[in-house]
Amino acid sequence: MSGIDMQYSVQVTDVEKHFKVYMDKGSTLKERVIFLQRNRYENRQILNGISFKIPKGQAVGLIGRNGCGKSTTLKLLTRILKPNSGTVDVEGRVSSLIELGAGFHPDMSGRENIYINATIFGLKKEEIDERLDEIIAFSELEEFIDNPVRTYSSGMYMRLAFAVAINVNADVLLIDEILAVGDVSFQKKCFQRLKEIKEQGTTIVIVSHSMEQLYSICDRLIWLEEGRIKEDGEPKLIAMHYLDSMEDERIAKLAEVSREKLADERGRSILELTQNVHPEARREGTHEVRFTKVDLYDGEGNPCQTFGTGDKVVLKFSYATDTEGIKVNFNMDFVKDNWQYCYGSCFAKPGDELPVLKKSGEVTFEIEKLMLLPGKYYLDIGINGEHGELYDNVRNIMQITVRDYVHNEFGPCTFEHDWKLV
Amino acid sequence: MRKDIVLMKERIRNIFSYSDMIGSLVKKELRGKYKGSVLGFLWTFINPLCQIIVYTIVFSVIVRNNLDKFYVYMIVGMIPWLFFDMSLRQGAGCIRYQGDMIKKIYFPREVLPIACVTSNFVNMLFCFVIVFAVLFISGIGVRIEALLFLPLVMAIEYFLSLGFALIVSAGTVYFKELEHIITVILMAWIYGTPIMYSMEFIPANIKWLFKANPMTSVIESYHKILYWKALPSGKELLYSAAFALVMMVIGGLIFARLDDNFAEEL
Repeated sequence: MSGIDMQYSVQVTDVEKHFKVYMDKGSTLKERVIFLQRNRYENRQILNGISFKIPKGQAVGLIGRNGCGKSTTLKLLTRILKPNSGTVDVEGRVSSLIELGAGFHPDMSGRENIYINATIFGLKKEEIDERLDEIIAFSELEEFIDNPVRTYSSGMYMRLAFAVAINVNADVLLIDEILAVGDVSFQKKCFQRLKEIKEQGTTIVIVSHSMEQLYSICDRLIWLEEGRIKEDGEPKLIAMHYLDSMEDERIAKLAEVSREKLADERGRSILELTQNVHPEARREGTHEVRFTKVDLYDGEGNPCQTFGTGDKVVLKFSYATDTEGIKVNFNMDFVKDNWQYCYGSCFAKPGDELPVLKKSGEVTFEIEKLMLLPGKYYLDIGINGEHGELYDNVRNIMQITVRDYVHNEFGPCTFEHDWKLV
Repeated sequence: MRKDIVLMKERIRNIFSYSDMIGSLVKKELRGKYKGSVLGFLWTFINPLCQIIVYTIVFSVIVRNNLDKFYVYMIVGMIPWLFFDMSLRQGAGCIRYQGDMIKKIYFPREVLPIACVTSNFVNMLFCFVIVFAVLFISGIGVRIEALLFLPLVMAIEYFLSLGFALIVSAGTVYFKELEHIITVILMAWIYGTPIMYSMEFIPANIKWLFKANPMTSVIESYHKILYWKALPSGKELLYSAAFALVMMVIGGLIFARLDDNFAEEL
């Protein structure tokens, strides 16, 4: 047809899509005439000019928060929706695991419904004849295949529907969040089958929120945000960025909560310290020496609250005091979100000279390698006097997230280790 | 223009590649419809039969007319009319009520009205068992030369119905009221078609109006072939065939124009 490059099976170029969202749509004559003003609508922009190409045989995952345009993109690929501008070219037969069991008639047998369902997917009768045994075997419904579908349990129904959908031999397979079908063993089977399909050279585009599924199938992830492609590339990397951004957003939302919850005077004194205060934050002390600013940074000096195990972490804070020359000790702790104490450190160890302060100044605490295992941890910081006076102490000031990865260690911290069979 | 023709050709080819889907939908409609009811498939016959009996009593006993064996005349016209009537009635909703499928699976949307009209057509073919039974029992019998034209008339009616069904099925998606409007129009339309009376009763000054109705020539052709055992009039055949062709083209174009936004409207 058009000049589609043979090595690409999907080419999406500058696609833009918006929906008309009616305020209160009158779809009958009476309503249209009487409520003329109700026919107003707003254009909701879903896709804002996205372009990507998928080479033949590649498996691509689409990720992004709800409403970012993942499902719309998938529907554009199936030709259910048409783009408002731009072009979508898909080479070969497209099968979509978007709707399962389309056209099933409850009073007809499983076997008859296989034919109905498969022809809707565009299969010819002879093709279905060829695959019938395979489909029935896959569904594990051999004994029930001639019973009416209405006698099936919902699990059996979905198994039959899935068996048909996944046995449509397509050049391009589109999957939307439906791998949660049936029991665990059936899910495994579906996944196994999906891998086989991929090995046969089928191009796959999959929308899922399960990173585990995406890792094991996809060669590439595309991260959509507000109708644009935010990032596109190697699954591990994109997933990390995506999860980090979700985490940042969660932390920012928590900070929002904090601003409401910590509205009293004591609370406000915490909010001044840093951007993303945790709602559980508590401050106490005489404030003879007090914190004026607290922040966490990554190895490159960017403000950061999400780290990986082994990353560099920099804690930086400022203090102020009216008593110049006062001697204090600074300390910090990490406490896990189940209130397990994990780590603590102070500026000077017992017996050492304590630092002498100016009127104001800055202190940094650099962690070369963060040895905490994945999880969420609270940061506590404090300033104590020479004889143990509590000048300032902020507990749970902020939360840090150590991001998840595949590992063989458990508990709060990691060791450099090596297992060997001797 | 040339591009449009190429696109139209592409569409038609695409529809043909889904012919097995049309087949299985028709089968599902016919077999699934009465499954679970005691009399099952017999309802296909009982329904029109009862309707005809009622009309026959009303029009041959209460309202007088001078046609010999009037009930035969009526059955011959009524069964093809019911096909047309049901095609439009069901056709109007055939896309709207399949919203889930439209929103989630790609297939040429024309498949739905085609399957709807085709299943009603097959239904009519079954009902012709009644027509022939009545023809023989009443002693009218059949004439083979005339019968040869029957498939042609049926084909014309099929495409005429399909043309209308394409328009109303797509229209109803955007404008729900159309479904009810169609019902009202059909109710009036049957009286504008010579089914329960013969054309002789129509005053000469408004005869043209009845003749403009494409269903008049279709039903009159059925009457000629089966009731009068004569060859259908070429003029009527030509008129209805031309009308059917025009409706198919208009229907196809309107449908192609509207179907891009089905998934969004539903």
